[in-house]
Amino acid sequence: MKRWVEGMRDAFFRSLYNLARKDKDIILITADTGAICHDEFKQNLSNQYINIGIAEQNMVGVAAGLAISGKIVYIYAIVPFATMRCYEQIRVDLCCMNLPVTIVSIGAGFDYSTLGPTHHGTEDIALMRSLPGMTIYSPSDSLIADFLARVCYRQEGPKYVRLDRTGFPLIYKDEKKIDVSKGFSLLKKGKDLYIIATGRMVYSALQVTKKLSAQSIHTGVIDLFKIKPLNGEMIWEVIKKVGYLVTLEEHFITGGIGSTITEMLVTKRNAPAFKPIGIPVQFCRRYGTREYLQCLNKLDIGSVTKSINEWIKNKNNSHRSPI
Amino acid sequence: MRNQVLEMAVKAGAGHIAPSFSCIDILVALYYGGVLRLGSKNPKWVNRDRFILSKGHAAVALYVVLADLGFFPVSELMTFAQNGSRLGAHAEDTIPGVEASTGSLGHGLSIAAGIALSAKMDKKKYRCFVLLGDGESHEGSVWEAAMFAAYHRLNNLIAIVDYNGLSATDFFKNYLEIEPLKKKWEAFGWEVVVVEGHSFKELLRVFNNQHFCSSDNPLVVIALTTKGKGVSFMENNPIWHYRIPVGEELEIARRELLSDK
Repeated sequence: MKRWVEGMRDAFFRSLYNLARKDKDIILITADTGAICHDEFKQNLSNQYINIGIAEQNMVGVAAGLAISGKIVYIYAIVPFATMRCYEQIRVDLCCMNLPVTIVSIGAGFDYSTLGPTHHGTEDIALMRSLPGMTIYSPSDSLIADFLARVCYRQEGPKYVRLDRTGFPLIYKDEKKIDVSKGFSLLKKGKDLYIIATGRMVYSALQVTKKLSAQSIHTGVIDLFKIKPLNGEMIWEVIKKVGYLVTLEEHFITGGIGSTITEMLVTKRNAPAFKPIGIPVQFCRRYGTREYLQCLNKLDIGSVTKSINEWIKNKNNSHRSPI
Repeated sequence: MRNQVLEMAVKAGAGHIAPSFSCIDILVALYYGGVLRLGSKNPKWVNRDRFILSKGHAAVALYVVLADLGFFPVSELMTFAQNGSRLGAHAEDTIPGVEASTGSLGHGLSIAAGIALSAKMDKKKYRCFVLLGDGESHEGSVWEAAMFAAYHRLNNLIAIVDYNGLSATDFFKNYLEIEPLKKKWEAFGWEVVVVEGHSFKELLRVFNNQHFCSSDNPLVVIALTTKGKGVSFMENNPIWHYRIPVGEELEIARRELLSDK
């Protein structure tokens, strides 16, 4: 078995590099954003690697021109620059023309905690979710990131992959357990409560689950690695019998997976009581480690456990019978 | 052709007449002057020259040209912007002969640069032409693309700036000057030629000039044009960017265009 000591970024790009060695039509463009694995691209596949400079709008347009001409293009930058700076180019050049370009972004949530709100990735899911034809992947560990690089290679149309610099310890042991057409993984079955999490918050969800289960709240975990299109019907089949449902994401509470799950739940009768957990919609102007910023925003394992516990104890918040 | 543009826009009550009249001679030079190596018999021919209409609001002019050349039926032209039509005020890549969807300014040069780069990567001989509006120079992305194209020595990329001095609401010298435009492009590493944009002779002299084909640099042709060219009251008048003539104005426009013929 492969030994994973690399984060999901390097796992993704290593996987892409292995594909690109066999397919000369794969082009990687970076907006002056690095990764260890890019060195191999630069040295060995220099014709397939472009550092386009700090010019994200042009990066998307050039990617579109290459894709129109038959190339399979991956573009790469930190979350706000890969999604917001060039949003309208993504909308028109990639989505309107349905081109096979994969936007790879690094720095989900507070991953770049010491770089401040300019570099926080807190609105990207909302933005990408509103674009017609866009597929959104949000891997939870390095193994699935490696896997998704190959999925994006085969898949038509524009894709957005939201990466994290972490990615280990692994959540998955074997990629055969990952069902892309399903779009999510049932990591742990629950009887009372389900947590639907995405990205590295899946790891946090598994830790929260241990704590809640110790308090006799039998909690299950779903890894929602494909946020759009949402496989709402299959998720519903999993969660419909529990009394409580939580979403957990390192993204603003509006527009992310909490919102997409809400949109699914409102179409259902007798849905579980629902609590979305994410980052309050305000810029975080404090600095420190990622863990510190998570604590400030009540996204650390202790705060999440506490908030779920209190919510469940408050019987009035549930229209189902309490546990 | 100008008259066809006028009648389509009048019927639809939509479309950009004056911006189309500004650049239609450039389109005719490219498509009928033996410049673009392409044809409607094999519109997806892999070695065809590509043309991107970055000022996508002149789509009505491009559609007249493409229909005349057989990319789609001429009879479809009069459905322009009607209920259910696929032809609208901005260029769509779903229309045969249209390489990319445009309409938002500042996109076309990057897309064209990507296409030109792809030709280089694949060692193919085709060229990519892209027509920009002059007001489009206000978009920063144009200059990102200009820098990129020159650095990558995309000498198979030919940009044409439809330089009529007007944008949607005003002469831009009154609110954001783009001069010195020639020096700007030169500073970005491009070959620059300034021509009379309504002269087929001058346009073709540049488009078919082997000197530029042998240069390492991309070429920009600054075409001096008149917005609304061909209809006296539209020419150089800012109010006609997105206005459709009615009544007596329409009669005058028709008369002038047909007599011009």
